[in-house]
Amino acid sequence: MKPGAPPDLKQTQELFWALITAPEGVRAAIDAPAGRGSGIDPAQVDAVFAGDERLPAVERLDIYANMYFFRLLDCLAEDFPKVRAALGPERFHNLVTDYILRHPSEHPSLRYLGRRLPEFVAGHAPSAGFPFLADLARLEWTRAGVFDAPDSATLTRAALARLPQESVGEARFRFVPAFALLRFDHEVVRYWRALDEAEADGGAPREAPAASAADPAAVPHPARRKTAARVWRKDLVVYHAGLDEEEAHALELALQGETLGRICQVLAAGLSPAQATERAGRMIQAWIEDGILADCGPNTSL
Amino acid sequence: MGHPDSLGHGVGLRRDHFDRILGGPARVDWFEAISENFMVPGGRPLDVLTRVRERYPIVLHGVSLSIGSTDPLDDKYLDRLDALAKRFEPAWLSDHLCWSGVGGRQAHDLLPLPYTAQALDHVVGRVQRVQERLGRPFVLENVSSYVAYADSAMPEWEFLAEVARRSGCGILLDINNIYVSAKNHRFDPREYILGVPKEAVRQFHLAGHSNKGTFLLDTHDHPVIDEVWELYKDAVRRFGPVSTLVEWDDKIPPFERLEQESIRAKEIQDEALGPVPVKTGRGTA
Repeated sequence: MKPGAPPDLKQTQELFWALITAPEGVRAAIDAPAGRGSGIDPAQVDAVFAGDERLPAVERLDIYANMYFFRLLDCLAEDFPKVRAALGPERFHNLVTDYILRHPSEHPSLRYLGRRLPEFVAGHAPSAGFPFLADLARLEWTRAGVFDAPDSATLTRAALARLPQESVGEARFRFVPAFALLRFDHEVVRYWRALDEAEADGGAPREAPAASAADPAAVPHPARRKTAARVWRKDLVVYHAGLDEEEAHALELALQGETLGRICQVLAAGLSPAQATERAGRMIQAWIEDGILADCGPNTSL
Repeated sequence: MGHPDSLGHGVGLRRDHFDRILGGPARVDWFEAISENFMVPGGRPLDVLTRVRERYPIVLHGVSLSIGSTDPLDDKYLDRLDALAKRFEPAWLSDHLCWSGVGGRQAHDLLPLPYTAQALDHVVGRVQRVQERLGRPFVLENVSSYVAYADSAMPEWEFLAEVARRSGCGILLDINNIYVSAKNHRFDPREYILGVPKEAVRQFHLAGHSNKGTFLLDTHDHPVIDEVWELYKDAVRRFGPVSTLVEWDDKIPPFERLEQESIRAKEIQDEALGPVPVKTGRGTA
């Protein structure tokens, strides 16, 4: 802005934005020495905003600054309740502060604010004491995605039974959009359950006394071990479950478009044909009951 | 515009009440749904809205159009809003007379505009483009504000009235926001109501706020206060039986409490004007 010239609308909005998103607050952003801080000209702030003796302009802008941060904090706390429980409110607050600075919201809907949080926590130095956090965040974010993924018809047992016997081996599965297979480096599914139990014992985690046995912070951190889970939606409700390696591999093959014959062949390794058939049958039946399969057939497009 | 197509008295559709609303009759005439909450591919939110829409008229109320921003209008957002409107056929679409972000970043807040000739031209042009794109009734709401601009050249109600007059959009008059801003900026809320053109007002909002000592904060987490009910009565006398909606977005009470607020609004309207018939069902859209 030229000294003395009235700011145009764009300049006014950019100044407003810089003030309400300044990490140390509005006053600190204005007082920061030129060249080291936000580049905000205190004279411009006085020229643009109006306050009064009851509430000066800086304090009025602070109302917006607080609302900006706490709205985003609340949103992420709602989308990542387990990450918050694992870190505790203070560390989560700090994580969100750093995250929002790096990844301010760019989508009109708050629904997508957390989309980069899983990758961000993986590289967030202050969270290094929580090496499982990225896995946990990925599980929570995947659940959010499955919650409002597109609706889809699901494969029924009757439809599967109608496949001509001679072509069953060549059939391929197609999955519903509200499904995901996840691989982790830590036992986060087990940890999730332990957090749930701690919360059920002690009420909501934010109200639990710090030293209580029900404090989520007292739940032992998950072990580092390769694990897998699937996330799905049934009757509009989202579920997740840990998988053994056999089922994870079978799902992976199915997702890659391998035929039913090939999947059964892989499952059969080390088993008798009867055992392998029974194992595959039980697995596929569970997939159908959980509504994760959309279709199955020789010509199913992938 | 105006009241011949009044939907009656409704409440905001909030997740906490989904089961209750779908589980039995609600003593409200209509629901207002936050547009962005339903701009999702599938799942429960859209399922709930589909079922609510089968039984009640709805209005889609947006919070992120950012009509006053100097960023370009977001075409993808408008496409999503258009698709939502085509699917649910709301009685009208609404958003706020504010800006929500700049430089491609979103504050997810309703930030005030300076009331200048430049801002007026800017907003009017954008409202016209939004109306052309959506091709359906579009309504703008006055927001609560906490800071003013030194170069504002007119009061807020004059700015709002001019936006409506020049663009042809309707006005969603938030009575609580008028009250909150009047206290925060020391103007007479009745002057505001008298300054708004009668024919443009399509809807009222009512809500609670918090008193923070040196200012009022529009928190939507309390019942409507008596002074706002009084102001509502004044507004009803001036504008007639306009569609009225009670918002409650935080510390959300049982649905029955919200119903009571809506019923009270109807009683106040009846007190001011006598009983007014309300159209119901899908036919109102």
